[in-house]
Parts: sequence; C-alpha cells; structure tokens
Amino acid sequence: MSGSARLAVCAWHVAPGTGVRAPALGLQLAANVPDVGIVLCSYCDTVHRQIAPVRHEMMRCITCGSRIHRGNDDLGAMLAVTVTAAIALVVANALPLLTLTSGGHQTRATLWQAIGASYDRELPFVAIALSATLIIAPAAELVLLLWLLVPLSLRARPPGFVAMMAVLRALRPWRMVEVFFLGLIVAIVKLSALATAVPEWGMFGVAVVAVALAALASFDPGALWRRAGEVAA
Amino acid sequence: MIRGVELGLVSCHGCDLVIRMRGVDRGAIAACPRCDAPVRFRKRNARNQVLALVVAAAALYYPANALTIMYTEQFPERRADTILSGVKFLWDRGSLALAAIVFTASILVPVVKLGVLGFLVISTTRRSTWRPRVRTRLYRMLEVIGHWSMLDVFVVALLTAVVQLGQFARVAPGPAVLPFAGVVILTMLASASFDARAIWDPGRDPQRNRGSGGVHE
Repeated sequence: MSGSARLAVCAWHVAPGTGVRAPALGLQLAANVPDVGIVLCSYCDTVHRQIAPVRHEMMRCITCGSRIHRGNDDLGAMLAVTVTAAIALVVANALPLLTLTSGGHQTRATLWQAIGASYDRELPFVAIALSATLIIAPAAELVLLLWLLVPLSLRARPPGFVAMMAVLRALRPWRMVEVFFLGLIVAIVKLSALATAVPEWGMFGVAVVAVALAALASFDPGALWRRAGEVAA
Repeated sequence: MIRGVELGLVSCHGCDLVIRMRGVDRGAIAACPRCDAPVRFRKRNARNQVLALVVAAAALYYPANALTIMYTEQFPERRADTILSGVKFLWDRGSLALAAIVFTASILVPVVKLGVLGFLVISTTRRSTWRPRVRTRLYRMLEVIGHWSMLDVFVVALLTAVVQLGQFARVAPGPAVLPFAGVVILTMLASASFDARAIWDPGRDPQRNRGSGGVHE
C-alpha cells in the first residue's frame, strides 16, 4: 500500500443499529474495559493486557518503567476540581497579586497589569506568551472541561465531543500557572531590594489554580472517552 | 516483551484508542475510528523535526544568556542584569535557595534539554541499543522539566509591571527576553516531536518494515 493513502481502519465490525459512528467493537476495546483491554506503552510500544486496576493504583510499563496512563476516573471528582480551579482562576485574575510599599507610596499589581505592562514596553510577544500560558490556556481548559463534564455527568453526549477532546489535549502542555507562581515568589524577593512587597489574595488564587490544574492532569482522559461511548451506545 | 508494531497494533495519539492495523505499511496513515486523528506507527519525520528545533533553540541560547534580560533603575543606581547576574543578585541577598532554583530553571534546564534531545536524536538515528531504559527515563524527565525555564520571563514581566506602577524606580525588560522565551518554546516543541518508541526499535528485527506478517491472520 502506498504511504500517501489515507486508510480507513476497518478492523472492527459495525454492530447494526447502534447508531455509533465509531464501530461498536472498536469502542469496546477503546473503552479499555477492565480484564479485556490491551494497552500499549506510549514510550516503548510494549503490549500489555490490561488488568482491572485497583482504584488509585498506578500502572508502570514492564519494559521501560514509564507510567501507563491510568489516573483517577471519577468524573464527579474531576468536575469538582474543575469548578474549584475555575473559581480560583477568577480570583487570580481579579484580585491583586502583590502590594508594594515604598515611603508611604503603595501600589498593587494584578495579572492583567503585568500583561499590559509588557505590552506597553514594546514586548507584545511577551504579553502574548503571558496571556496564552496564564489566562487563555487554563481558562480554555476549564471551560472545555465544564462543557464536557456537565453533560457527561448527566449522561448526555456533549456537542462537539471529539473536537473538544482534541483541543483539550493540545492545550495541556501550554499552561504554566505553577511556573508563574514560582515566578511570583522570585519577584517578591527581588522587589524586597527596592521596596516592601507583600503577597495578596490574587497570589493565593494562582497557587490554588496551579494545584487544581496539576490534580486535573492526574485524571484519566480515557474515562471521558469511555463515558461518551456508553452514552452514545 | 511483545511490541505493538509486531502485532500491528498502534495506539491513537489523540485518544489512546488501541487500533489494529495488521499488515499495514509502517509509514501508512490511518484515521482513528474514535477521534478521527491521523494514526501512524511512528511520528513522521520526527528526527529531522527534532534536530531542526534543537539547532534553532541552541542558536537562541547564546543571546538569551549574553544579552541583558532586565534593566533596573533606582536613582542614582542603574543596573543591567543578564540571567546569570540576576542569579548572583539573589545569591548576594542571601536567598540561596531561590538563587539555586533560578539557576537550575534558567541556565541548567535549557542546557540539559538541548544536550539530552541531541543525544536522543543521534543515538536513535544510529540505531543505538545502549540502555534504552535510561534513555526513556531521560526523555520522560524532559517532559516534566519542559516549561519551568519560563520562570525568568514571568519574573521580568512581573517586575516590569509592579515597578512601573510605583514611582520610585523603573524596571524594563531587556533584549534577552525574546530569545529566552524562544529557547523554552522551541525545546518544548522539540521534545514533543520526538518519538520515544524509536529508542526501542533497534535490535528488534530491524529488517521488518510492516505492521505484522501474515502469521496471525
């Protein structure tokens, strides 16, 4: 077969009457149903027969020791963390990150002012990098997760499920809230040379967003696919 | 150890669905039945893409470290800091832990990333069979440390914003900010383009170029 041909995968039979675009049997395997599924290590391509994992158990590849993605699959917990992160993100954006006092003169700085300032200093690229990694990527991730999780929890298939999942996956590496939190600490120490710098509630919000996003990354995206498959079937 | 490529199994890059592409050409592209993403046994062109990105990032590494990243002006003093002198500033102020963190994130991590990526690309190109487990672990380490180098960009942006609002001093970003962010982004793209499965390909019947023989059919 020529390499340029775009092949349709037709290894699985479409069960009649399911109304699912993806072949039903394929979805079963896709669902990685405990005891039946096959999992491939994404780092070394080793084939594993998936055993029913005990909850919160971590599976490692027998060949290379990499973690085989199998996080928490509790969609309700995932929704709860998402809501927490969303509230914290609003706090991080709305409230000042820190207060600076110098000789009776006091200023507060918010995230948006930091972005605005880098834009004013003829560094639009930095402003774009900041807004992309600190606001757009996390906000988009949370909105998408709400969009997906709320209907799935109510056992309905969210509109545009497949596309949303693709966007979600593409966004993941580009959020850097935890790095920004460390940056805030460094900035406060550096500022203490010039004036008195005190952390504010916005910084607390940043910390909570960082923790919540890390928690969200530990959930198993396969759980969403499985639920969507169940709902559609 | 049985590998997916030997059974003609591949897992979708988009949704982790395990797909059977038995007897399908190694270079062929299929569409995932679940998420419609293109599926292939190995990332296409991975080697050239990673190398190109590593070279570009390495070229930016020099200006990122040699140029000024931040100007600070507090009458009557005016100083221009490179990344390294910024670390020294923290060290002199007694924040040893922070100085170590910034040094690691801004100077060490980019070098390590470039070195490891270069090593991984060259060793897989030469079909090396040297300690694949160690090399896989190195690659996973790259994924974890990937974005922490962005630290200094955030610090400069924050200081610029905060101090601009006060009247007592001025902080301005220097020309190193752009190449510095460039290094971070390019190395992140490079490690995403690398296909770790290629580490394990040599030594396992290199003549085979099909998903699976007809043995199981």
